[in-house]
Amino acid sequence: MSDDSNDSKPDGALPPEREEPSEPPEAAGAQGADKSADKGDDSGPQLTGRQRLAKAVWPPRVTRAQLIVALLLFVLGLGLAIQVRSTSENSALRGARREDLVRILDELDDRTKRLEDEKRKLDGQRTQLETSSDQAEEARKQTKEKEAQLGVLAGTVAAEGPGIHMTIKDRAGATDSDTLLDAVQELRAAGAEAMEVNGVRVVADTHFTDSGGGVDVDGHKIEQPYRFEVIGKPADLEPALNIPGGVVQTLKNKQATVDVTRSGKITVDALRQAKRPDYARSSSR
Amino acid sequence: MIAVLGLVVGVVAGLVVRPVVPLAVEPYLPIAVVAALDAVFGGLRAMLDGIFDDKVFVVSFLSNVVVAALIVFLGDKLGVGAQLSTGVVVVLGIRIFSNAAAIRRHVFRA
Repeated sequence: MSDDSNDSKPDGALPPEREEPSEPPEAAGAQGADKSADKGDDSGPQLTGRQRLAKAVWPPRVTRAQLIVALLLFVLGLGLAIQVRSTSENSALRGARREDLVRILDELDDRTKRLEDEKRKLDGQRTQLETSSDQAEEARKQTKEKEAQLGVLAGTVAAEGPGIHMTIKDRAGATDSDTLLDAVQELRAAGAEAMEVNGVRVVADTHFTDSGGGVDVDGHKIEQPYRFEVIGKPADLEPALNIPGGVVQTLKNKQATVDVTRSGKITVDALRQAKRPDYARSSSR
Repeated sequence: MIAVLGLVVGVVAGLVVRPVVPLAVEPYLPIAVVAALDAVFGGLRAMLDGIFDDKVFVVSFLSNVVVAALIVFLGDKLGVGAQLSTGVVVVLGIRIFSNAAAIRRHVFRA
């Protein structure tokens, strides 16, 4: 290029030279015509640039110069198109200045940091939730166990385990509610955990009242023979009944027969409705 | 005419074929294109002046491209690639403008 401009700069001083080298540039195709035109123009007005341009463009001549220039221009157009496309295709980052890139990078870093923080926070929350749900699960399990234990005490669930049978036969009718209550208290003191008498569950608030010819237990009238099913440690329960001056001896003194047998498996399946207290509320929690 | 056709065909081919430029060449492409544009404007001016020579055009075109790419390459190696390519673009831009002015004078007589 520099050659070109050097050539063209002293252009003003060159007119005389131009006639001589004017053969190589344009004249290759139509030498005769050009030459004659140049020569003709020399005398009068010169061939102007505009005319030269028109001459070069319009009658399409396949000359070596045209072909070479076409090839180079093809390369130029290719590069131009590629560059324009890749510039417009890629994101704005390609053309961004260094300061902008640094700023964008900083922003991205900040954003990453913020997101990391958020992720950490959420992770912590998740861990907390998991452990708390574990705790809730554990609490639920414990509550269930407790419910089963309390259910045995309250008589809302059936129970089974080692214990004793006790049958009181009393044809004379000497057994009253006091006697039965004494027996129950004795058994409780000996560690009885669940008991029923003639199909009625005996729990903490069970009451015994005399009712002509039998005993009323929690509103259920029962008659002799009284059959107790008691779950507890047999080795504790039986002696507790048999101690001198105890339940068995007292009943025997009243002409009743008492039969106490140990058993490895006693089933207490009489149930009571759980009664919701009207006033008392749990104060725990 | 054929030269103009060559330019048009090149642009169309570049847009349609979507060739992939090797990564090693990519940084030099823009400067090379600008340098080639400079050569083309110089050639156009020479033609209007009536002193166009295809040999000179080819040599100036190729040497322009090569030198521009070389300068950018050197600048990258020296760590002043951005500044140096800016300088090259400025110089080439000035030359393109002066050539364009000469062409304008020829074409519009103003």
